Amino acid sequence: MKRWRYLSGKISWALFTILFVIVLNFFLFRILPGDPARAGVRDPRLTRENIEAIRVRYGLDKPIINCFESLNPVKIGSCVVNPLDTQFFIYIGNLLQGDMMISFHTNRPVTEILSERLWNTVILIGAGQILAIIVGVLFGMFSAWKARTSLDYASLTISLVAWSIPTFWLGVILLFWGSNNGMPIAGMSTPGMSSYPLLTQWGDIARHMFLPTLTYTIVYMGEYMLIMRSSLLDVLSEDYILTAKAKGLSIFQILKDHAIKNAMLPLVTIIAINLGFTVGGVIQIETVFSWPGLGMTTVEALNRRDFPVLQGAFLLIAVAVILSNLLADLAYSYLDPRVKTE
Amino acid sequence: MEAQITTTATAPRFQEFWRVFRRNYMGLVGFIMLVVAIFVALFAPALSPYDPSSTLNVTTSDIYNPPSAAHWLGTDDAGQDVLTNFIFGARVSLTIGFFAAFISLVIGGVLGIIAGFYGGRTEELIMRFTDIMLVIPDLPLMMVVIALTKPSIFNIILVIGLLYWTTTARMVRSQTLAVKSRKFVLRARAIGSGKRHIIRRHILPLVLPILVVQAVLVVSSAVLAESTLSFLGLGDPTALSWGQMLNYAFGRGAMSTGAWWALVVPGFGIVWVVLGLTLLGQGLEQVLNPRLDTHHLMPGRPVVRNEANEDAEKPTGKSPLLEVRNLSIHYINEGSPPARAVENISFNLREGELIGLVGESGCGKTTLMLSLLRLLPSAGQIVNGRVIFNGRDLTALTEDELNSVRWSGISIVFQGAMNALNPVRTVGEQIAEAIIKHLPDFPRESLSARVVELLDLVGIAADHKDHFPHQYSGGMRQRAMIAMALACNPQVIIADEPTTALDVMIQAQILELLDKLRKKLGLAIVFVTHDLGVVAEMCDKVLVMYGGVTAEYADVDVIYNNPKHPYTQELLKAFPDLTKPKKKLSSIPGYPPRLDALPAGCRFAPRCPAAFNRCHTEQPSLHKLGDGHIASCHLVEASK
Amino acid sequence: MSADNFLEVRGLKKYFDVGRPTWFSGESRSLHAVDGVDFTLRHSEVIALVGESGCGKSTLALLLMGLEDPTAGTVTFEGRDITHLDDHQRKDLRRKIQMVFQDPYESLNPTQNIEEIVTEPLAVHGIANTPDRDERVKKAMEDAGLKPAEVYLKRYPHELSGGQRQRVVIAAALVLEPEIILADEPVSMLDVSIRAEIINLLAELRITRQIAVIFITHDLGSVGFFADRVAVMYLGRIVEIGTMLEVLEKPQHPYTKALISVIPVPNPRLRHERIILQGETPNPIDIPSGCRFHPRCPVAFATCKVSDPPFVTLSKTHQAACLLLVK
Repeated sequence: MKRWRYLSGKISWALFTILFVIVLNFFLFRILPGDPARAGVRDPRLTRENIEAIRVRYGLDKPIINCFESLNPVKIGSCVVNPLDTQFFIYIGNLLQGDMMISFHTNRPVTEILSERLWNTVILIGAGQILAIIVGVLFGMFSAWKARTSLDYASLTISLVAWSIPTFWLGVILLFWGSNNGMPIAGMSTPGMSSYPLLTQWGDIARHMFLPTLTYTIVYMGEYMLIMRSSLLDVLSEDYILTAKAKGLSIFQILKDHAIKNAMLPLVTIIAINLGFTVGGVIQIETVFSWPGLGMTTVEALNRRDFPVLQGAFLLIAVAVILSNLLADLAYSYLDPRVKTE
Repeated sequence: MEAQITTTATAPRFQEFWRVFRRNYMGLVGFIMLVVAIFVALFAPALSPYDPSSTLNVTTSDIYNPPSAAHWLGTDDAGQDVLTNFIFGARVSLTIGFFAAFISLVIGGVLGIIAGFYGGRTEELIMRFTDIMLVIPDLPLMMVVIALTKPSIFNIILVIGLLYWTTTARMVRSQTLAVKSRKFVLRARAIGSGKRHIIRRHILPLVLPILVVQAVLVVSSAVLAESTLSFLGLGDPTALSWGQMLNYAFGRGAMSTGAWWALVVPGFGIVWVVLGLTLLGQGLEQVLNPRLDTHHLMPGRPVVRNEANEDAEKPTGKSPLLEVRNLSIHYINEGSPPARAVENISFNLREGELIGLVGESGCGKTTLMLSLLRLLPSAGQIVNGRVIFNGRDLTALTEDELNSVRWSGISIVFQGAMNALNPVRTVGEQIAEAIIKHLPDFPRESLSARVVELLDLVGIAADHKDHFPHQYSGGMRQRAMIAMALACNPQVIIADEPTTALDVMIQAQILELLDKLRKKLGLAIVFVTHDLGVVAEMCDKVLVMYGGVTAEYADVDVIYNNPKHPYTQELLKAFPDLTKPKKKLSSIPGYPPRLDALPAGCRFAPRCPAAFNRCHTEQPSLHKLGDGHIASCHLVEASK
Repeated sequence: MSADNFLEVRGLKKYFDVGRPTWFSGESRSLHAVDGVDFTLRHSEVIALVGESGCGKSTLALLLMGLEDPTAGTVTFEGRDITHLDDHQRKDLRRKIQMVFQDPYESLNPTQNIEEIVTEPLAVHGIANTPDRDERVKKAMEDAGLKPAEVYLKRYPHELSGGQRQRVVIAAALVLEPEIILADEPVSMLDVSIRAEIINLLAELRITRQIAVIFITHDLGSVGFFADRVAVMYLGRIVEIGTMLEVLEKPQHPYTKALISVIPVPNPRLRHERIILQGETPNPIDIPSGCRFHPRCPVAFATCKVSDPPFVTLSKTHQAACLLLVK
């Protein structure tokens, strides 16, 4: 009962947050300066009629929402418009059908572009995140166990330095190093690979993935190490560890049965909270390594002022982070019995 | 307990703070790194070899020149001196970092305090909003906002400031809640203080340290955020920050021309500042919220034995089950003399016997108990004496040999059962674990039945076996702890203040249970307590400890009806006795000695009503008064 | 009402809502922390409120201090109803009733020095600038046993021992010259050897400053020598009240009897049979029917399950709520 309430609370909260992001996403692009149509299509050869046609095509001729013709500059309009004929509700309606308008730049549906790119990002984050967690957790455990020895201080220093390096700069430096050492430096596959056997193709992708994943791992392992170290130190100074020791359990048994699970609990929450920052890191890595994922798409769209793509990418990223957070909450409720039961 | 007191009691006064901070290398290094960066930014015109605004006479041959005498760090894509741009870049990066951090700290601090202090709907609203802001990925949002507005320094500061307050708000709120729940805030209300007074005088001073640490971390995040935005081409084109330098270098062929200096130098600046701030933040955190960084799995210190100090007299007759002989324990602190926590303690325990170990907090009784199974914290060291259990000297065993004695020979019932049980494993599992460890041949299929049997023995119904400790009440947890202690049929149980936090009736239940089990199973028990009444009700023999030494050791009747040590006498007078309701209680003036500042003579002398000159200079030895009665007092020697 | 009933508590109740009704469960339950308490306090009298955790004694203290609002009932002070006061009246009243808390480590702000702590109440009440301020602070501190006051003024709480800190708390209460001190377990965190000095200090204050003391404790043993009257609480109610000797030597309620029997006596020659109640105090959300003590009562009979016992007057000063006493 308590668990069901916990879960339903978390799920409805995630839904509410998604709704908030959708609304924010819509108004952000209309409150801030810059008419999407003019900003998006800067071709000086366009006539007034052309621009008007584009405005009609993107529905920008309609009032934003009841009572508001436009928001920047604010222009009050009629309040007795059919709500379904306003930009806001058309946007929502389209979104529900999975339609996120058409790219200014390539004239392809945004949904199509994003769904192509999404998986590339998921692969990169997945590999990097798993490696960062494994390396960080192992280092953190080791450091906590050997607390206040020179080994601990060494791994602490490495972690703090890794934490302080800007992601994009580390990427640039690794790229610089890689380009001088025969590593592939851009994209996720060598052109013309599609004629080779599948295994070779995968090997090629793995080679392309190496540097971006390495960057990701170095940047995030430092933080996981620091958290794991302090969390495990907290656990290891708890009374129940003393009980376990008094029971005659070996150090290995104590770590395995009493310390690690307890120490991982805060980490789950932190990983979830960090997902927002993680996305920032991925954008930088994809930009540096020209990895064709959501991050690179966002930056490209930004440089081309391709607002439909930008809007869609932002929404997709935000929703993904919210859902991952929800997942982490659910995982937490399985790991910690204190959530399950009264 | 000790650590908690120091953390909450340390007044954050500046001299005190500086004294501790000076010895924190991490914080100090970070502080110096930051000061250097600020210095460079402030005196940029004086330090840089060229004037950044002059772009005269740039030809293609000036582009990406490697480091040389004229350009120590080479030139960039526009043929400008990298060193000059680097020095001036510090100004842009730090300005943005500090101003943005200031905005976010003000927002986060105010929202956090309001949410924490006022609670209710206000809190709910603020924290829900914070949660939403926290979950929205910040870099994409910043990118969108900057792209839609104008990438100027002002806008960048504003955007970072408006987005980076969430962690501050959360930290400040939880600290405010923690401070608000403390009794001095309730006391301030009881005095009649209004809300503004309480926030100003009681909440703010204790939230401030958190805010300082947070400020340092937010500045570093802001510097990072600015450089990232600039690198992605969203920086102010008129201000050349480090991120902007990297953006130009990366975008304009530094990679292909091999101009590593144009890529390495600006990044070095960012790492320098961010690392400096991170180290400073970590250092401040350690100073303002000290943690001991020690834990129970750290290797213990080797046992030292000073044969000369050993009692020559060997016990006669049948040797006792557990014999503690001349045990001394020191706490070793680097840079200060060792604290003599326990000195020269001896006692015997026979089968089925119950000995009471009585003393006030800090008298060393818990240290003594932990040392019996060598469970001392890593600073604790046995510096003399033996612990002989069934003829084996536990102080001479290896860790592995000791593990076989722990729990199967001697088990412990700890004080706070809530903390002594692992919260994420069921009580049944934790009991079974001990059986599996020590009785490897125990048939697995009857393990569950054995756990039920043990729980039944302490009066817990079988269906609670698979429950977690938080589902138990305080009394039940202590019973479960006792069941766990019985799991491997030990001969000795050490009960370390097992009833201290419990209500009188639950305390009576637990004491009755221990007494019943002792008779039924023939257990020998060492009962550690500060409660003279409990000792009188249950024990056969009593060891009264004061300041780490034996004050008096005798049969229970002697201790209560014929005590010889003034401390025992005074303690009895201070203890309320329901059978003599009109009797005025007396107290012992002063307070127990600190282990790092022990008096030269008898440790009780400063508080002793009968102390004379000799007591202040010479430590009394243990005087035997016959019938196993021992007292360490010069007066006893005189009367002998 | 006699003139000497200077604090009078009538039918005081405090219910806390636990679990607001949500979409998923419509049930709203309340925790009956204090469930109908009556007693009076005379000038410079010491009354001890005794009970185990969960009996409502700490909530009762907060109600008396006006730090919580009662659900029902009244508190009258010097003939004036003080149950519901506005902030201004409440603040004035605070000068008359002061409180001392359980944990002297927690009840002092670590960033204030002793002078600031003891002066603060005067500042709050706008009387910090009077010429006799220093005199007043000094007197309060010395009355609280911090002699000479100058030694302590500039020190910080962490530099003092537990007993000294508790004296600082008492000094900060005395500086407002209160008529009642409410002491909530003031010695339970202190070492045995210094408990007596705090209890003796409170006992002296009633004589030197005519202060009445409400002494809240779980430890019947410690109230022995200085309480005039003792009230025993169980699950939000007083079950027995009488003079100290009546309650300790002739207890009438089975709960009081059990409570007294389990208090350890510091003499092995007086080991005696104890009445150990089984189980634990029920959750104050689900109060048992009839007599709330019946599920644990060793002498309960059938009627106890259905009938809530009235207060039976045993002497002018002694009352207990038990059906066995109803003749």
